[in-house]
Amino acid sequence: GAAMLRGTAAVLRRAASSGQGPGQAPGQGSGSARLEPSLLRFLVCPLSKRPLRYDEATNELVNEELGIAYPVIDGIPNMIPEAARTTQKKPSAEGSKRP
Amino acid sequence: AVAGLCPCRAVFARRGGALRALCGSLRGLAAGPETHFGFQTVTEEERREKIYQVFESVAKKYDVMNDSMTLGIHRVWKDILVHKMNPSPGTLLLDVAGGTGDIAFRFINYVRSARERQLQRKLRHHQNLSWQEISESYQEDKSKSLGDSQVVVCDINKEMLKVGKQKAQHLGYSEGLSWVLGNAEELPFDDDMFDVYTIAFGIRNVTRIDLALQEAYRVLKPGGRFLCLEFSHVNNPLLSRLYDLYSFQVIPVLGEVIAGDWKSYQYLVESIRRFPPQEELKAMIEDAGFFKVDYQNLNSGIVAIHSGFKL
Repeated sequence: GAAMLRGTAAVLRRAASSGQGPGQAPGQGSGSARLEPSLLRFLVCPLSKRPLRYDEATNELVNEELGIAYPVIDGIPNMIPEAARTTQKKPSAEGSKRP
Repeated sequence: AVAGLCPCRAVFARRGGALRALCGSLRGLAAGPETHFGFQTVTEEERREKIYQVFESVAKKYDVMNDSMTLGIHRVWKDILVHKMNPSPGTLLLDVAGGTGDIAFRFINYVRSARERQLQRKLRHHQNLSWQEISESYQEDKSKSLGDSQVVVCDINKEMLKVGKQKAQHLGYSEGLSWVLGNAEELPFDDDMFDVYTIAFGIRNVTRIDLALQEAYRVLKPGGRFLCLEFSHVNNPLLSRLYDLYSFQVIPVLGEVIAGDWKSYQYLVESIRRFPPQEELKAMIEDAGFFKVDYQNLNSGIVAIHSGFKL
């Protein structure tokens, strides 16, 4: 449930912040970890199919309604619901709609 | 753990399947809906995990293994798929379970050549323009070497996507190509988005094929095309025996020698046997709402390309 989500997200956050992956080209800096803007027009939340907001600061795709955020790692958005973390914005919102 | 069935026992396993299914269903009463992992009976959650592990394990050797197992013929099958697609510049492709990028790269090559031919035709018509006008048209066309074509590669497995992305960098593919970690059963894309949806050697590994097909239908534009390339059932009895022999005797050994992983390749051959044959898959695709569903056998049904349209 929610504990598993938080656990998974914590692992992912640690992995993301631990530095660049081996496939990075030199001189690209942190730019290569960010989401390609062209992808934004395709992506929606896999659970609700509603639009997402790209948060540049945290490098996440946020679903405000459900109060969840999907991480972007090495430029690749992780759109698997189990990988999303709950944002603290709406305490009354359900974390997951999965049956 | 994955049972290391030896090749000859695998044949008997098929016959013993009914008994094992019964034991499996007793075991599974508390654990959730039953499904298969190769010739084993597992819960859906176990299956997803096992399959994830298979591809995590084989990712780095995926391409080498494909070449060895199929003697390079998988390249031809993939070429045929993209030729059948015949994408024109400006096409939006979603390649699901596209992991290491084979279909995506072929798509890009195809639209790039198509685009070049388009430009050449345009230039031939520019006989009476001034140098100024010709060079201007060069500038504007140069920035669109793919003509706005785009391919989004979606895969559930991080390792496979990593390999694909590295390959793309290595081979010089960047424009018009994006990578998304997502589940075919629950796609993170809006409705009516893509012109073409492909899934090559991936649908066999999806746990709920019906959901994947429904999602495929949803994300395609009206008029969009669904294309599935997958191992299927061989109709010729002699070829079928040779194919079985090769599959169960040679492939897992290759898997062990080349990738150090017998079990994953044992899963591969078992999963091919478990996958629905051509007509059954056709019916499933029709159930998802697709029209004009058809299939084309390659190599007597070792592989088949299924196609359908969203109207």
